[in-house]
Amino acid sequence: MPRTIRVLVIDGEEIILKSMSRALRSEGDVDYMVATANTALEGLRQVRSSIFDIVFVDYALPGMNSREVVRRIRNTSPSASVVLMSGFSSATAFPNEAAGNADGFLSKPFTTGEITSLISRILTQRSGNKA
Amino acid sequence: MMKIPFGLKYISISTRISILLGVVILVTMGAFSTISLIRQQHDSVDALNRSTLLLGQTTEKILRLSMIKNKRDDISAAIRDIVGSEGIRSVRILNHEGIIKFSSRRSELEQHISRANRLCANCHTGGDTGAVHTVSRFYSHHLDERNGIVYSSLPIYNSPSCYNSDCHITASAEARSNNGRPAAAQIVHHVHSSSETILGFIEIEVSAKRIMANLARTRSQLIILTIVIAVAASAITYFSIRYLVGKPVRRLVDGMRRVAQGDFSREIPSGRAELGFLADSFNQMQRQLLSTQSQLIESEKLASVGKLADGIANEISNPLTGIIIYTESLIAKSKLGDSERAECDIILREAMKTRESVRNILSLTRKDKPEFRTVDIVPTVRHAITVVEKLPDFRNIRITTSMQRDLPHVSIDPGMMEQVFLNLLMIFSENMPEGGILNISSLLVEKDRKIEIRFADAGKTIPENLLQAIAEQIEYRDSEKIGRTEISLSVCKDILALHRGKIRAGAGAEAEASIIVELAV
Repeated sequence: MPRTIRVLVIDGEEIILKSMSRALRSEGDVDYMVATANTALEGLRQVRSSIFDIVFVDYALPGMNSREVVRRIRNTSPSASVVLMSGFSSATAFPNEAAGNADGFLSKPFTTGEITSLISRILTQRSGNKA
Repeated sequence: MMKIPFGLKYISISTRISILLGVVILVTMGAFSTISLIRQQHDSVDALNRSTLLLGQTTEKILRLSMIKNKRDDISAAIRDIVGSEGIRSVRILNHEGIIKFSSRRSELEQHISRANRLCANCHTGGDTGAVHTVSRFYSHHLDERNGIVYSSLPIYNSPSCYNSDCHITASAEARSNNGRPAAAQIVHHVHSSSETILGFIEIEVSAKRIMANLARTRSQLIILTIVIAVAASAITYFSIRYLVGKPVRRLVDGMRRVAQGDFSREIPSGRAELGFLADSFNQMQRQLLSTQSQLIESEKLASVGKLADGIANEISNPLTGIIIYTESLIAKSKLGDSERAECDIILREAMKTRESVRNILSLTRKDKPEFRTVDIVPTVRHAITVVEKLPDFRNIRITTSMQRDLPHVSIDPGMMEQVFLNLLMIFSENMPEGGILNISSLLVEKDRKIEIRFADAGKTIPENLLQAIAEQIEYRDSEKIGRTEISLSVCKDILALHRGKIRAGAGAEAEASIIVELAV
């Protein structure tokens, strides 16, 4: 797992962006670089301009279907892992279905531990696949 | 009123069957009556013929002696006497040349009857020139239906007494003695030769009017009787069907119409016959429909509530995430005082409770099918433990695990099953305010082909009534806990029912209070 993990959070809700920034900033033993975007287009622009290890995408982003966002991230930055987030029960009831072509799914509301353990699991899995 | 297609006029089943029965009876009895009448007419005419023949034969025997002796006045007198009898219209005697020699009608005497006449044509088939065709049909009779007369004729056969008679002769008037006996010396010419077969005919006219009148009366009676029977049978059938079939069918139709309009309130009276069974089935169907409708309404309500809850849950989830993460962040700060830390613990605990409550409510309203996968149950249990173990409620609870290795995989929806384990962990945390040791173990019960996941509290803090409710598989009610445990338990039961699993209270070590989840392998 990389010592500095570059994270991008794309969500229309300011509280989610701030909460995730706070949660990942305070985890001491691993360094996180957290960037945020409150629209799909802004997020995609950041993906094009920077490199991220993992991108969190809200399931119900306004203006663009979340699966389309995931597809474009995959095309732009194949090395980045993508995680979908949602608080809708229709999505949380079937996380595998909701995740679709994403690497993981995070049910809202979540705890710091759930975020970090998911990042750890996904990145470990990815490094294992590369090896 | 029932709608009739194609502009046909509505005819009830009772009317149709009654008309059909009436027509069948009319046709059947009409045919039967006609055959009977024809037979009766035939028999009557036949009897009349026989009696006329008998009369003719008797007349011939009576008159034979007079004829042999050529007593013409006696013959005429006898014929008049016979005609005076009831029903006998006329008697006449013809010789073999067709000349009427004697008749009750004087005007006919000495008239010649052509061989083409019905009387002669029986034997002389060629008219006036025809020869005798047969002698087997000499006796004949004919019914004149129009006038009601039977004509019977019978032959007067030649016999030795006829052609040998010494008195029945033709002789010159001069040679005849005064007393009528021929003198021995005279030349005698017999009237009839021995070669003649038939010397003449006796024809008798008998009135058949009485018989015809009787037959006509019988015919009329039969027609009236047939009509009366047909009408009576039709009427009886009509009212019987109307009462026994039409009435129950009308009730069924009315019932169907009511049901179609959404009225399930009234049941149809049932009975012991086929239509009664049909009414029973209808009532059963109506009850089933009512039940299904209630379930549908309930489902629609649930679906509406579910959609509403889903939206609210999503709205809540964002600020709740902020509350949880910021509170966790505050707690993580080492410079926080004890009282502040305690307050943050309360905030985090309540936020987590809210999160579980929202998820449970969504689980209750959601009726989605589980997404089954065959997996190892242990990671699901461990993930649920990971989610809760950092929560303030679990700070004083030490969770120990004792998982059997190489458990067979089970077919579960991991997300749903994790919810079961989370709910059970929350139930234990609520009931272990002082903390303690919560042991979670899993094992395979080979005999029953099932896996057990046991949550055991060594301090035995779980309320006895909760364990009792779980043991008896009944709804748990605890007014003091505002229903949280009840909802959690209800969700567990629903999810396990979908997995053909169950939850039960354990009967483990005496010091333990345990809840066990069973899953079929």
